Order: sequence, then C-alpha cells, then structure tokens
Amino acid sequence: MTNSNGANPDLFESLRLELRRGCLVLAVLARLKTEQYGYTLRKSLGDAGLTIDEGTLYPLLRRLETQGLLVSSWREEDKRNKRFYRMSPEGERVFGLLLEEWKRINASLDRTLQEAGRI
Amino acid sequence: MSTSTKSKSGELLDRYLHAVSFWLPKKQQADIIAELSEDLRSQVEDKEAELRRPLDDDETMALLKRCGSPILVASRYRPQTSLIGPVLFPIYEFVLKLVLLWVLVPVFILIVGPALILSAADHAGAFFTTIRTLWTTLFMTAAVITLVFAALERTGTKLHLEDRWDKRSLPQLPKQPQLPSTTHTIFELVFALLGIVWLLAVPHYPFLLFGPAAAFLQPAPLWNTFYGPLVVLAFLSLARHGIQVARPQWTWFPPTAQLFSTVVGLMVVKYLIDAASKPLNGEWHPFVVLGSSIQPTVQLARVVGFVNASVLLAMAATWLGLSIAAVIQAGQLVRHLRKRKQGVPSVDPALMRLL
Repeated sequence: MTNSNGANPDLFESLRLELRRGCLVLAVLARLKTEQYGYTLRKSLGDAGLTIDEGTLYPLLRRLETQGLLVSSWREEDKRNKRFYRMSPEGERVFGLLLEEWKRINASLDRTLQEAGRI
Repeated sequence: MSTSTKSKSGELLDRYLHAVSFWLPKKQQADIIAELSEDLRSQVEDKEAELRRPLDDDETMALLKRCGSPILVASRYRPQTSLIGPVLFPIYEFVLKLVLLWVLVPVFILIVGPALILSAADHAGAFFTTIRTLWTTLFMTAAVITLVFAALERTGTKLHLEDRWDKRSLPQLPKQPQLPSTTHTIFELVFALLGIVWLLAVPHYPFLLFGPAAAFLQPAPLWNTFYGPLVVLAFLSLARHGIQVARPQWTWFPPTAQLFSTVVGLMVVKYLIDAASKPLNGEWHPFVVLGSSIQPTVQLARVVGFVNASVLLAMAATWLGLSIAAVIQAGQLVRHLRKRKQGVPSVDPALMRLL
C-alpha cells in the first residue's frame, strides 16, 4: 500500500521515527539547561516545531535520568505536585559531545546531499 | 451541569490512569501515574481555558485516544524484551529446522513409522498412532529447544557469543554446483543402454550373471516376479538420461527424475527383501538355486546358502543407501524449487558448457 507520493506510509513512519529518535534526545537535553517540568517542556518543544507526545517524552526523560544525564525533583507549583527536570553535570558534558557529533553529521549530510543534487 | 461534566471527565481520566497503572512495573507505578496524571490534567485545563467550558466525555476521550491505549502507553515505560534476541534467533531457527525437519521427520518416515506400521496387526491404527506420536514429539522437542535458547538468551550477555569468532571459524565457501557436461550425460546414456542389453540377455545367458558358477547355479523363481519391474526401471533410467541430453534447459528435471527413480527403486528393493524373508517349503533359497540337472552335495548347498545370504545383505545395504539418498535428493529438490520460486537466476547449462 502506498500514499499519493508513492511511498509506503508504514515504512515512511518507521523511518521518520528512527530519524527523530536521536534528534529528540538532543532537543530535550538542550531545553533542560534550565529546569522545566514535563508539560511545559513538551509545549516548548512543540512551539519550536518538535511535537512530542507524552507517551514518548516521559519514558525518554526517565531513561535519561537513569543514565545520569538528568536530575529530577518533585515540587508543588500552582497547588499541584510536578516533577521538575534539569541537566546533570554529566548531562552537560555528554550534551557537548553529542552537539559536536550532530554538527559533524549535519555538515557531512549537507555535503552528501549537495553532491547528490537533492538540496 | 458544568460540575457534573467536569467530574465525568475527571472520572474518565482516573479510569484511564488506573488502566495504564495495571500494566506498569509495581515499583514505578505511583511515580509514573503521578507524572502522567499531571500532564493529562494540564492538557484538559488548557483545552478548557481555550473553549471556556469544561470538556465533555467525547472531547476527553479524543484527548485520551490521541495519547494511546493504556497498554501501549505502559509498554513504552518498559525496556524492550524478547524471549530469544536477534543474535541467537538465527541459530535457534537453524537448530529447530535441523532437528525437526531433517532428523525427526525422516526418522519417523523411514524407521519408526515403517517399524510400527509393519509390525502391527491394525495397519491404519498404527499409521494414526505414528502421526500422533510424531506430532507430540515435534511439539515437545520444539518446546525444549525454545526453553534452552531462552535460557541461553538470559545468560548470552555473559557468554559474549557474538564476539567469539575469528577467521578460522568462518566456513569454507560452498562449491558451485557443476552442471554435468554433455559428454558426461552421453556416457551415462550409453552405459544405461548397455545395462538394458545386459539385463535382457541375462535370462538367455546366465553366464553374464553368475560367471563360471552358471554351470551349477540358476536364478530362483522369485526373479520371475521382479524381472519385469527391474526392466521397466532400467528403461525409465534410459529415458531420464535421454531427456537430460535432449532438454538440458529443464533444470528441474534431473533432481525430480532422480528422486522418482530412487523412490521406485526403494519400493522394488523393499518388496524383494520382504519376499526373500519368507522361506518356501521350509527352504531358504530366495535368490539363487542349484541347477535342475545338478546333483546336490553338502558343499554346493553351502555355496548356495552363502550366495543367498550375501545377496540379501547387499539388498539391505542398498535399501539403506537408497533411503539416505532419497532424503538428500528430496532436500536438493526442495532447495531447487525454492530457488526457482525466489527467482534466483540459474545459469544456462549451454552457457556453462561453453565456459
């Protein structure tokens, strides 16, 4: 089964998710240089054009926290308990490395696509 | 009304969160639900602020539907698990096929089945018992293999199976199957023709079969029954070689015809052995007897007994050899047909000969 562009929608969706996965980690870490709780983080990413549903964001935040890249704490705000996240010192270091890697990949990809005449 | 609608949407949220919590790991349940609940309630509040009224059931349901089914949402908090992982799975699949299809099924078809069916008084009943036993054995074996691999999967990280290889452990490349040359096939055809001439001449010139012993030995009456089928089998073999020479592009023909010949040969040999096992008038001389004009002596009787025993032994060895050949040829035929179905291009035999 194909869509109007002739692409298999399931295949495209699976490849799109694969492409987004690593980028989301980078975006989440970048946003958590300043402390935020889940809902505001999701909104700010959405406002920047990176929509992310709750079923993806919260497991990702937990994984990053387990890996030691984030720290979190429960606090009351507007009479409701909220969990606030921010980057840990280890997260800052790894984020720097990932950012360098991202820039390198981006530059290579730009060159490759230019050579292929796709941009 | 607004309070009642609000409480309804709140109740729907609570029921949704309760359903999610059922599938979550116990240790993290409360923490995850508190965070998810906060997010969902914030979404409801934002939507209500936008609409300037409480959400009704359908709107709340639409929001939850977008979030995903409770089991799907909960599954995202769990690490990905599999009974047998991608590293072990190809080995598991290989072992399963090897044991079930290449060991158990042939053993049942060639040994257990015939032994049970032929020794039973009720052949049909024994056949169904064999099928039932085969099914149970296949099921149990598959279960045991799966359990062993599942256990290996749990300890696989300690064994580092994926790192244990070097160049010496790599298998040799398989030899490319060589198509028989025209000269080879013509030689086979000529030999098949000579075989038929020999077979047709034997009844008139027993010397061709017994050599100097033809002076006192002659074929037993059993051969009167089996001579005809043997001649037919020889003509079939001649036809097979003829077709191979005339139609080399029929790549499916040689393995199919070879399997057919082997199975027919297997049946003839089996009937020969069965017939030879039954002594006639208390005497056991199934294959050769003394010539009618020869005076029997103790020494000649020993020679006849020895020749008969040797032929029976050769028949049994032939039956075993043909059984193994049938299994191998069936495998070759299946592989050939599978390759044809997958569209693997086969090399044109004419081109192969030029090369």
